[in-house]
Amino acid sequence: MDTLINVAHGFGVALMPINLLYCFIGVFIGTLVGVLPGIGPISAMSLLLPVTLSGTPESGIIMMAGIYYGSMYGGSTTSILVNIPGEAASVVTCIDGHQMAKQGRAGPALGISAFGSFIAGTFALIALMLVAPSLASVAIAFGPAEYFSLMALGLVVLTFLTQGSMAKALLMACIGIVLGLIGLDSITAQPRLTFGRMELIDGIGLVPVVMGLFGVAEVLLNTEQVIKRDIINAKITQLLPTKEDWKASAGPVARGTILGFFLGILPGGGAVVASFASYALEKRLSKTPERFGHGAIEGVAGPESANNAAAGGAFIPLMTLGIPPNVVMALLLGAFVIHGLQPGPLLITQNPGLFWGIVASMYIGNLMLLVLNLPMIGMWVQLLKLPYNILFPLIILFTIIGVYCSSNNVFDVYVMIAFGVIGYFMRKLGYEPAPLVLAFVLGPMLENNLRKSLILSQGDLLTFVQRPISAACLALAVVLLVGPLLPALRKKRELVALDEGA
Amino acid sequence: MSNDSNNVKFRLNNSELWGGLIGLGLGGFVVWSGLKLKLGTINDPGSGYVLFYTGILMCLFAASIIVAAITEGGPSFGSRWENVSWTKPLLVIVCLTAFSFALDPLGFLLSSIPLMVLLLRLIDPVRWSLTIPIAFLVPLGMWWVLKRVLLIQLPSGIFEIG
Repeated sequence: MDTLINVAHGFGVALMPINLLYCFIGVFIGTLVGVLPGIGPISAMSLLLPVTLSGTPESGIIMMAGIYYGSMYGGSTTSILVNIPGEAASVVTCIDGHQMAKQGRAGPALGISAFGSFIAGTFALIALMLVAPSLASVAIAFGPAEYFSLMALGLVVLTFLTQGSMAKALLMACIGIVLGLIGLDSITAQPRLTFGRMELIDGIGLVPVVMGLFGVAEVLLNTEQVIKRDIINAKITQLLPTKEDWKASAGPVARGTILGFFLGILPGGGAVVASFASYALEKRLSKTPERFGHGAIEGVAGPESANNAAAGGAFIPLMTLGIPPNVVMALLLGAFVIHGLQPGPLLITQNPGLFWGIVASMYIGNLMLLVLNLPMIGMWVQLLKLPYNILFPLIILFTIIGVYCSSNNVFDVYVMIAFGVIGYFMRKLGYEPAPLVLAFVLGPMLENNLRKSLILSQGDLLTFVQRPISAACLALAVVLLVGPLLPALRKKRELVALDEGA
Repeated sequence: MSNDSNNVKFRLNNSELWGGLIGLGLGGFVVWSGLKLKLGTINDPGSGYVLFYTGILMCLFAASIIVAAITEGGPSFGSRWENVSWTKPLLVIVCLTAFSFALDPLGFLLSSIPLMVLLLRLIDPVRWSLTIPIAFLVPLGMWWVLKRVLLIQLPSGIFEIG
C-alpha cells in the first residue's frame, strides 16, 4: 500500500509540466545520441551536466536519466539500419538486426526492438520500485568496511569485464583512483598532487575528464578512418511485428528482461554485458542456432530487452547504496552532488519526492520513447545521413562549451583537451578508459571508507573479513582477480569482455 | 623460426613495453608522492597512505605488463597506426592545442570560428559554401544561447568580443 501511495506521489512530481518537458528533452537527446554514431550517452550526459544546475534537482536528474535509457532505444536504430552501433550496448543488435534489414524486414526489427525495450524498461521500473526501498533499509546497516569492499568489488568486476589485458585495466583503475585523490585531503585538508596550482585544489572535474576520454578521444579515433555507412535506403513499412515474430520473440524478451535487470544491478556490469549475455543465451537455447547471424528476430529481441532492463537495474546500487555501478551512473551521481544531494540508503526516506519522481518519470519516458522511436523513424534515418566530417567539428565545439559551462573555467578546457589526447593514445595502445573513470569517481569514497574503517577498528585489517557482506565482496573480488590465471576462466572472460568506450 | 620469434620478443619498438614503462614511471611517482605526504599509521592513516599503496599496485601491474611484453612480444608502434590516416587525428590535436592557447587571449568567438574552419576544411574537406555558414553560425548561435538565454559568460578575450 505504501508503495502505491509513493508511486502516486512520484507521478505527481513527474507529471509537473516542467518535469515532463525535461523528461522529453532527456529522452529526445538520448535517442539522438543513441542514433548518431561517435557520440554516446556518456558524452551527452557530461555535456548536459551543467544544464542540470539551472533547474530543480528533480528536473535535472529526470533529464539525465532520460538521456541514458533513451540512448538504449536510439542505439538499436543505427545498428539495424546502418550496421554501426550507436552506442556500445547495441553492438550485438547489429548482427541479426542489420541482416533482417537487408532482407527487407527492417520494420519488424525496429518494431520488436522498440516493444522489447518498452516491456523490459517497464519491468525494470516495477522491480526498481519494489527492490530499492527494501535494499535501502538493509543498506542503512552498512559501515565503512562494507562500502569499501563493495566499491573494490565494483572496480574489479569492471576491470574483469573490460576488453584486453586485465593488468592494463587494473592499472587504469589505479590511475583513476590517483586522479580522484588530487586536491585537498577530505580528512586532513592537506593538498595532494596539486603542483602548486590553485585550479587543482578542488581536484580535477569529472566533466573534463569524461569529455576528454570519451568525447574528444572518440572523435580522434573516428577521424583516422573512413566511416562507411551501409544505410538501408528502402522505405520502412510495417513496423508492427507479425504474430510469428511475437511468438518467436516472447521468450527472448522475457529472458532478456530478467537477465538484464540482474546484470544491471551488479557493480561493474551494465547494459553492454547484459546484451551480450542475452544474445549468447538465446543462441544456446535456440533449436536452430544456425539462424543467428542471418537475421534471427530472437537475436534482436533478447539483447534489446536486456540492455533496457539493465539500464533500469543500474539505478538500484546508485539510489540505495550511493555507489555508481558504471560510468553513466557515476555521471548521474555527479548530478546529485551538484545539487547537494547524496544518493544512498537515506535518499528514499529523506527525499521521497525526488526518488519516486525519478522512477515515475522513467515510466513516462518509456512511453515517450515508444512514440519517438516508431512513428518518427524516418526522421532518425534522415539524421543518419549527416556526414561525419560535418558532425565531428560540432561535437568538438559542444564538448568545449559543455566543459567550460560546467565550471566557467578555461583551465577545464585545457584538462579536457589533455585527457582527449591521452585517451586517444590509451585506446591506440589497448588501455580502456572505463575503469579509469569509474575509479576516478569511486577513488575519494574508497579512500574515505578505508581510512574510516581502519580508524574505527584501530588498525585491525580483519575488520574487512569479519563482517559477512564485506568478506563476501572481497572474496568475490579475489576470485575475479585470480580467475583469469586459470585457462578456463580466462577463456570465459574473453568471451564476455566488452568495449565500454564505444 | 625460433630465432625470428625471439627477435620479435626483445625488440625495443614494442608498444606494450613502453606502455608498461610509462605505467611503472607513474607508479614510482605516486609512491614517492605518497611517502612525501606522510603515510601515518595503520590506526590513523595519513594523506599519503592510499596514494602510496595505490602506487605500489600500479608498479606491480605495470611490471606484469612489461614482463608480458618481453616474454610474449607485442605490436610495434607502427602497426598500431597501420592502414589508418594518422595525420588526421594529429591535425585535430594541433588545432585543439592552438585553440587552447588562443581561447583566453582571443575569447570564445575569435578562437572557435577559426577552429571550426580548420576542422571542417583540413580533415575531410567540406565545401566552402557549407564551411563558412557552419563555422560562423554555429559558434555565434551557441554564444547567443549561452549568453542571452542561459546567462553564461564565455571568455571575451583582450578584444572583449563576445
